[in-house]
Amino acid sequence: MPELRRDPVVERWTLIEVATSKPATQYHREKKALQNPDICPFCPTKEHLTPSEVAAVRLDNSQPNTPGWSVRTFPNKFPALADREYLNKEGLGIYDVMSGVGAHELIIETPPHQQQMADLNDSEMSLLMRHYQERFIHLAKDKRFKYVMLFKNKGLSAGSTMEHAHGQLIALPMVPKYVLEEIHGADHYYQINKRCVFCDIVAQEVQDKERIVVENEKFIAFCPFASRYAFETWILPKNHGHDFAKADQATLDQLGAILQRVLKQMKSTLGDCAYNFYLHTSPNNWGDLPYFHWHIEVIPKLTRSVGFEWGTGLHIVPTDPAMAARELRDNS
Amino acid sequence: MPQIRKDPLVNRWVIVATERARRPASFNDSIPTDTPVDQCPFCTGKETNLIEQYDEIRVLHSINPLFNPEGGFEKSRHGLYDVVNNCGAHELVLETQDHVANIADFSLQSIAHVLKVYAKRIDIHRQNPLIEYVLAYKNYGVAAGSRAIGHARSQIMAIPVNPVRVHNKVIGAKRYYESHERCLMCDLVRQEIKDGRRIVSMNQDFIAIVPFAARFPFEVTIIPRFHHHDYALSLSGHEDQLAQIMKDVLTRYKKYLNDPAYNYMIQTAPFKAMATIQDEYHWHIEIIPRLTRVAGFERGTGFYISPIPSEMAAGYLKEE
Repeated sequence: MPELRRDPVVERWTLIEVATSKPATQYHREKKALQNPDICPFCPTKEHLTPSEVAAVRLDNSQPNTPGWSVRTFPNKFPALADREYLNKEGLGIYDVMSGVGAHELIIETPPHQQQMADLNDSEMSLLMRHYQERFIHLAKDKRFKYVMLFKNKGLSAGSTMEHAHGQLIALPMVPKYVLEEIHGADHYYQINKRCVFCDIVAQEVQDKERIVVENEKFIAFCPFASRYAFETWILPKNHGHDFAKADQATLDQLGAILQRVLKQMKSTLGDCAYNFYLHTSPNNWGDLPYFHWHIEVIPKLTRSVGFEWGTGLHIVPTDPAMAARELRDNS
Repeated sequence: MPQIRKDPLVNRWVIVATERARRPASFNDSIPTDTPVDQCPFCTGKETNLIEQYDEIRVLHSINPLFNPEGGFEKSRHGLYDVVNNCGAHELVLETQDHVANIADFSLQSIAHVLKVYAKRIDIHRQNPLIEYVLAYKNYGVAAGSRAIGHARSQIMAIPVNPVRVHNKVIGAKRYYESHERCLMCDLVRQEIKDGRRIVSMNQDFIAIVPFAARFPFEVTIIPRFHHHDYALSLSGHEDQLAQIMKDVLTRYKKYLNDPAYNYMIQTAPFKAMATIQDEYHWHIEIIPRLTRVAGFERGTGFYISPIPSEMAAGYLKEE
């Protein structure tokens, strides 16, 4: 029998099919559309096909826009937002419009075309997390931008048309709705309880154990009690921190390690499924937020949203999060 | 240069990537699929769990109900998490006795009849004090989350909790009313008629527009030109006009977007808040063709990137 569960941060209800839970094997697997690596503009030796790089990890001190990189970042050739000087805002009757000022960067995460993030080793992940953080800090310094969204789309049904492993950064002139909702929910909880709701979630998940996928010294990865999607997994720092930009190298090392483990376990459990992940952290220049706690949400793309979800905002989740966590753990 | 537009009701920003605009045919890559007619579980005589029959329209209990009319309302907690059971209802509306897939192909009279059945079911569930909301909606086509069975049907879901998307609309409508003493949607209808560029279809009682800050390419909202907060309470006398505009919009989808999958959802006012939002809330129907995929940016931000400006989308749908 399904039950309704409420997320304690944003107070969003979700419908979970607890009794008739669907195991990983019963989900439809996406047919992999193999791309010809010869025409991939993200592969080494094709650097001339992309916009000029803005940063790269080059352990061999090779020249920009040549092979030799381990991680490479350049502006998106088809940016969602354009890097222009002036942010023009206007009202059109009851409507508000602003010019699309922002930045959109692509981070190529590894040189080999077939290699996925789930296949990287700890030192490669460490370099990558460090690079993510450097680009994040660089964009967050720009006064025009209120938030930098770091995310990744893997696989066609998760919205990615490029097969070669890449992450994305979009710098926005406003704070995203979902981040604001989390901040408001967490602030509300803090005012009543004088504690960070995410720290309380970590404490309860550690105590309950059944929804934990993997943990290490500094992080916990678990399937949230009120998940919105089957096999959804959150990665939370165990210690309170509101800002991803402030994570030190040891923390980034552990983040890389746990993120890679989660993706590897998803790959072996869900058969190389499409997924998205994104980072939620405090908005640029908001100062210390005792009630907010940065984290990463990983969402495998296994189901299609239906009219009920669009019409109500209530998600239908065919797999109990405890079952999802158990299946992911068993495949480690 | 891309533009960022805000939805005035729910304060949701949408990035309109004007430079990436594509022709409508290049969006739809899904192939309509169907089961053989003799295996259709919805053709006359094969239905089970019948609740009520309204002439040719049959309303059934869903075989795998997400909400259950049996048993009471139970609340519990698990540490800092809240849980309630799934009391409510999950019904299937079989819109026709014939094996016809798309409501766009129905006669106006048959569509009006389906619209009236929605209102009747909403009114029945309204009487249950545990129910906070009833959503009447349709998933058409596999990409819209429907099983590959070409027999037109829609669903009625009665739920015991606050639907957050409708709740956000109520908040937006109240905020606007507080500062203007006018209904936002009434203002919006006036502005859209004056502007004209985003209108897809219009008749005496309704207007169909591509919203200014549309999240998805060719998304359409149908709004009554008269003010009312509740779909079921105000449909009477307007059902023929609503059927006409629904058929017109859905036929345009079929013709110009190559028979895409779509969802539509009737966004009526939540029951519990009703006494206080009669002036503020204005019911409407959202129609979303399922042509693009939601990716990490949308999931992480709640903002959308639309590959085509609303005016251009409306222009394509209006092509003769």
